[in-house]
Amino acid sequence: MVDIGLFTQIVINGLLLGGIYITIGVGFSLAFGVLEVVDFAVGEYVMVGAFMGAVLAPVFGAEGIFVIPIVLVVFFLAGSLIQPLIHHVTTGDRPHPLLMGLVFTFGLATFLRGSVLTIFGPNNQDVPSSLLTGGVTVPGVGTFPVVRTVTAVFGVTGLLVFMYYLYRTRGGMAIRAIAEDRTNARLMGININRYQSIAYGAYAALTGSAGVFIGMIFTANPGMGLQYTAFAFFMVVLAGMGYLPGVILAGIVLGLTQSFTAVYISGNLVLLVLFAIIYVVLLVSPAGILGKGEWAT
Amino acid sequence: MSGPVPSLDRLPGDPRYWYAGLAVLLVAWPLLFGAFWARIGLGALMWIGLAQSWNMIGGYAGYLDFGHGAYFGIGAFAAGIAMAQFGYPFLVGFGLAIVVSSIVSYLVAVPTLRLTGAYFAIATWAFAESIKQTALVTGITGGTFGLSLPRSPDTFVGVPVPFAISETFFYYAMLVLCLATMALTYYLFERHEFGYRVKALRDDQDAAESLGIDTTRVKRQVYVLSCVVAAVFGSVHAWYIVYIHPNDVLAPIITDRMVIMALLGGLGTLTGPVAGGLLVFLLERLSSVFLGSTTFYLPLIGVLIMVTVLFAPSGIIGILRGEVDRDDVRKNVKELGEKFDLL
Repeated sequence: MVDIGLFTQIVINGLLLGGIYITIGVGFSLAFGVLEVVDFAVGEYVMVGAFMGAVLAPVFGAEGIFVIPIVLVVFFLAGSLIQPLIHHVTTGDRPHPLLMGLVFTFGLATFLRGSVLTIFGPNNQDVPSSLLTGGVTVPGVGTFPVVRTVTAVFGVTGLLVFMYYLYRTRGGMAIRAIAEDRTNARLMGININRYQSIAYGAYAALTGSAGVFIGMIFTANPGMGLQYTAFAFFMVVLAGMGYLPGVILAGIVLGLTQSFTAVYISGNLVLLVLFAIIYVVLLVSPAGILGKGEWAT
Repeated sequence: MSGPVPSLDRLPGDPRYWYAGLAVLLVAWPLLFGAFWARIGLGALMWIGLAQSWNMIGGYAGYLDFGHGAYFGIGAFAAGIAMAQFGYPFLVGFGLAIVVSSIVSYLVAVPTLRLTGAYFAIATWAFAESIKQTALVTGITGGTFGLSLPRSPDTFVGVPVPFAISETFFYYAMLVLCLATMALTYYLFERHEFGYRVKALRDDQDAAESLGIDTTRVKRQVYVLSCVVAAVFGSVHAWYIVYIHPNDVLAPIITDRMVIMALLGGLGTLTGPVAGGLLVFLLERLSSVFLGSTTFYLPLIGVLIMVTVLFAPSGIIGILRGEVDRDDVRKNVKELGEKFDLL
């Protein structure tokens, strides 16, 4: 027998979790669109964000949420400075530029993971938050844990602000122009270095702050990054390459899959289930579950 | 390009003497330096072989397999299950490792080789992770307890052998496997028509297809081959290390090491994995001995990869071959500086 109360509770948890995954997925596919680089370091940004939360939260009265503005600024600056390096390895006369971009971000990921592992050791670290505890119970529906709700609200807000910038401002127009055609955008007088850095910085900032929230919901661990890299790729494959509305659906599917697998099967088998889903999606519908993306190649 | 082993050909004197000297050194190594150095040597040989196996799919075919370590683990567990659970001799486990890894890698190849680049990388990574999780919860692999393999003299072929199954024995086993892997790579990828097909599909899949190359078939062949090689090393490693656990032989760090070694050395070259394998293996050992940190080599290697990709994309071998000189680096730095024009 399926317990209805438990079932709706899992749906709530999954949906709220999906909110933050969407943020990661959208930033990730934007970085792919603008820089034409598939970023292997995405999960490590989540991990470093979570560790910044764990380290800085005690400074701010054990309140992880106060760390968010710092994380946003630090990651934006770091991302803006990393972007020119990625741009450099994916352009110019070198063999297999795309492969090189991937390899570079792999090196970056190894560097970040190794540094955190060496400095903080392999153990879990808590990201404390005293404000975001407990939950609000809605009779007949279930409990909305405060930390997950705030996280989802942050995720959706971040997404909306990001979308507003992308579709309603001149800067956003420049970024979309670069994603469309980098050479032509440059010919139109767009400083592609600057706008690529803004795009990558914004993506890094969103991902890093998502990491703080993920650290508050679960915990911070030096090895957690790879899982979120896998999640980001999973969302993009599921959504269909380059199809943003698909990412939103895929984020929700991911959140639900994770919470259902954790409760009904086993928390350790989430990746196995995700791999099975990717396996089937690629065999049956390589253009994503909505069939509107480019073919996954 | 100058011959199969350019770094040796560039040394002064007749290269044949250098090859002969190297051969003598490799054979005499454990006899000259004892068990400790035999252990270091067999580790280096195993990692060179594994890096080469990754180089087949990652370097020659251009498919970044981030789940390659899974086959090392599959090989280890195939041998482990055959020996510890069913009491078969090692050779049966060895054969089982080859059979199981070829079947599994073929099944994985069919959907995942539809992907390229990062999507292939992450799909294979997720596969490796799911194999590890499965190994942790199933009974036959010993689950979270792991497996202990027997190592008495009759566990090699079923009847007692007249020599000890010792460090020296495993050194020679790894030496044979490593040389066989090198020879296979040299023959298949540098001399045989197969290698030209593989490189053609890496450089331009559509063009290769238009010339009548069945790229799907070739890709699957390379993938299965490279996975079986990794599994073979895994099976010997399991017997050597005696106790295997999913968190050890299926750890993602195994894949990471293979990738890093092949990359640093030079992708798609015969000698790249040798140079990279030696460098990374020694860096790791030295950092744990001299710095007292078993993880410090990771950020070091991360930086090394980034610097290599930025300034010397053809790896150490590219530098040794003289493909990358000071002017290239200077030009690279200048171009990179221009990209920091952000305001």
